[in-house]
Amino acid sequence: MAMRKFILKTVLYIVLILLIVEVIVRALHLYTEDPPRFIDEYGVEKRVPNNKGYAVTGNRNQNYSKFSINDAGFNSHRQFTPTAGKFEIAIVGDSFIEGFHQDYYNSIGKKIEDKLKNVEVYEYGYAGYDLANQMHLVSAYKEDFDKIDEIILYLNYESDLERGDYEPNYDRIKMLKSTPFKIRDNIKILAYGSKIGVLEPLKRLVTGKSFEEPNKGYKTNEVEGISTEEQKVIDLQRIQNFKSLINLYGFDKTKTSLLLDSRKTSQAFLEFCKNNDIHYIDFAQEFKNSKRSTILIYDWHWNNHGRELIAKVIASYIQAKRKDSSLD
Amino acid sequence: MLFNSLQYLIFLPTVFILYWFVFRKNLKLQNLLIITASYVFYGWWDWRFLFLILFSTLLDFFVGQQIFKNLETKKARYWLWLSVICNVGLLGFFKYFNFFIDSFIEMFSLFGYEIKSTWTLRIILPVGISFYTFQTMSYSFDIYYKKLKPTNNFISFAAFVAFFPQLVAGPIERASNLLRQINSNRTFNYNQASGGLKLILWGFFKKLVIADSLAPIVDDIFANYASYPASTLILGVCLFSFQVYGDFSGYTDIAIGTAKLFGIELMSNFKFPNFSRNIAEYWQRWHISLSTWFRHYLYIPMGGSRVSKLKSVRNIIVIFLVSGLWHGANWTFVFWGAIHATLYIPVFLMGRNRIYAHNVIAENSWLPSVKEILQVTLTFVLVTFSRIFFRSPSITDAFAYIKQISADFNYESYVHPMGYRMLDFYVLIGIFVCYEYIIRKDERNPFNSKYLFVRLLIYALVILSILLFYDDGVNRSFIYFQF
Repeated sequence: MAMRKFILKTVLYIVLILLIVEVIVRALHLYTEDPPRFIDEYGVEKRVPNNKGYAVTGNRNQNYSKFSINDAGFNSHRQFTPTAGKFEIAIVGDSFIEGFHQDYYNSIGKKIEDKLKNVEVYEYGYAGYDLANQMHLVSAYKEDFDKIDEIILYLNYESDLERGDYEPNYDRIKMLKSTPFKIRDNIKILAYGSKIGVLEPLKRLVTGKSFEEPNKGYKTNEVEGISTEEQKVIDLQRIQNFKSLINLYGFDKTKTSLLLDSRKTSQAFLEFCKNNDIHYIDFAQEFKNSKRSTILIYDWHWNNHGRELIAKVIASYIQAKRKDSSLD
Repeated sequence: MLFNSLQYLIFLPTVFILYWFVFRKNLKLQNLLIITASYVFYGWWDWRFLFLILFSTLLDFFVGQQIFKNLETKKARYWLWLSVICNVGLLGFFKYFNFFIDSFIEMFSLFGYEIKSTWTLRIILPVGISFYTFQTMSYSFDIYYKKLKPTNNFISFAAFVAFFPQLVAGPIERASNLLRQINSNRTFNYNQASGGLKLILWGFFKKLVIADSLAPIVDDIFANYASYPASTLILGVCLFSFQVYGDFSGYTDIAIGTAKLFGIELMSNFKFPNFSRNIAEYWQRWHISLSTWFRHYLYIPMGGSRVSKLKSVRNIIVIFLVSGLWHGANWTFVFWGAIHATLYIPVFLMGRNRIYAHNVIAENSWLPSVKEILQVTLTFVLVTFSRIFFRSPSITDAFAYIKQISADFNYESYVHPMGYRMLDFYVLIGIFVCYEYIIRKDERNPFNSKYLFVRLLIYALVILSILLFYDDGVNRSFIYFQF
């Protein structure tokens, strides 16, 4: 009898406690929202239009920001309506451009618009985009991008040039729509636990890694040293991938530029760009000179100061390139 | 296996189910299960060192019987010495060999003799060796002092030595308490088991929220002390005080709670030491199982306080120095013990070492008196100061740390190594101290509200705080495992 009572009461208490925690997590909005994703008829992965919500970073709500998905399926303060008459800039990229770590009305695009007169900035940001995604998007929406005056592709050299062609990631969309993920998104304590990594041991159990030696000490973002020869091979492959994408989708050198951090980009790739008249905007110096942190707490995405620097670099670049007084 | 690991989350319910559902009716099988589970628990770290536990177990099981057989003759003493020499020998080899060799080399070099360090060995320190060797020795001591009869049941004795909840970091149990329970039939008791779960939850809070969240800050300050001002260094050692308390008492709570799930009561190891009013009270509340071990098996045999004042002082110095050395093979721990001896002796000479033995701060009131607040603050400051030596990697570093405090005595706000808001941690410690003050009268019942809803809310807040301060980058091992 005592054992039965113990088990029943323990289960009951656990359920009640979890319910209370769920209420608190909801009330304090500790969880983050991830607007649904889909793949459109052109094979472009994007967000389901017209979703609004809050993205949260950190265990204790260290970064709390509002997002707004527009009709085009991207997080932005404006709708994308390119015309031949206006001056438009498109910034295409991954989560850094998608900007769920900032209020949508305080994005890099908005900061650029504040710096340059009569400019509309369209942020085609989507978490997980690599250069293949980006170039496919530009090609798929050719009609729109033909009207856009400047296209900036954000390139994280270490991760964005791993493939030379594009295939829509249907598996990811399928996985995110699966029942376990739906449950995770609806039970906020699970969404929260997943975000802060507390469910990681369970994931490791499922994948059979849980009985391996645990990590000791702090994880760092340091890249393990590789030899010059190995780096050369990697660089060649990445350049080859880039060439392949250019062959596949084309690359309008007159209005397309890469946004990159030269500290994290190989010299070989930079030389390839120079030799082929591919413009790039390098924000390394601005970040290096900054006395304040450029990234968020608990996260490596750019903070408000970092975004301010990126906007400044882009605005200066556009001004210098166009030498158009109407933008001052 | 760590208490705060997924492996343990699977291990514990499995053992619990086998213990109460499969082997419930057979004490021998229950004890065999305890041994098997304990060896799996320990072997998860390194199975090779199970042989040491087995050796220590066999030795004291046999020695205990021989002591009892020869109690009235001198042979009993020889058998006792055998146990002490072998157990201390194990400790000496695995824990202190290199320390003594290096110390001898350094000593000779002071006199101008240079000796090459060819004798030092690359030895892994077996986890928990200081704990289980002391526990097995206590068995032989108790038989020698006629406080206990030896058991003829090897399975029970092996279960007593290896009982997994307290195997690697205590409490260091005495056979009169733990072996007696292991030898008796256990029946499942609802209150005991639910009390165990509560203690486990509270232990996890102390470990995961208090200790683990402070660890990166303390590590950063102690690693870079030369570049920080006094305010930061003082902050670092104060936070270390809370870290080490959260870490060790958290472990103990989980151990005691786990044992309760198996119908076994372990001794208390911590009784809110942060509310001690003098250093003597602190030692009655901090790592109680080790203090009582030294009192019973070292201090009292040396004469304790029933000899002349001078000899008593000598005895106090000896137990504090040995206690320091027990913690680690480093002069920092010896120095730490010496500081505590220095602080304890005046209290002893004034006859104030037992005055707080049976009451707590604000015993009969809600709030402490001004005098008590000052006493507690002073004790905390002194104990915290000594922890500079406890935490520093070497004596040189400890003195450099203190020198840096006096040399650069100014205030500068500290920035968390990961950029986190420091206010969160100050608020956390404030709440923790206040809550411990509320529950200060009963260390075994951290959630004692009579209202169910209040209790549920507190449980929920404890779990929420574990999430709020969870950091998957922290090394979650327990500090006292290294001892």
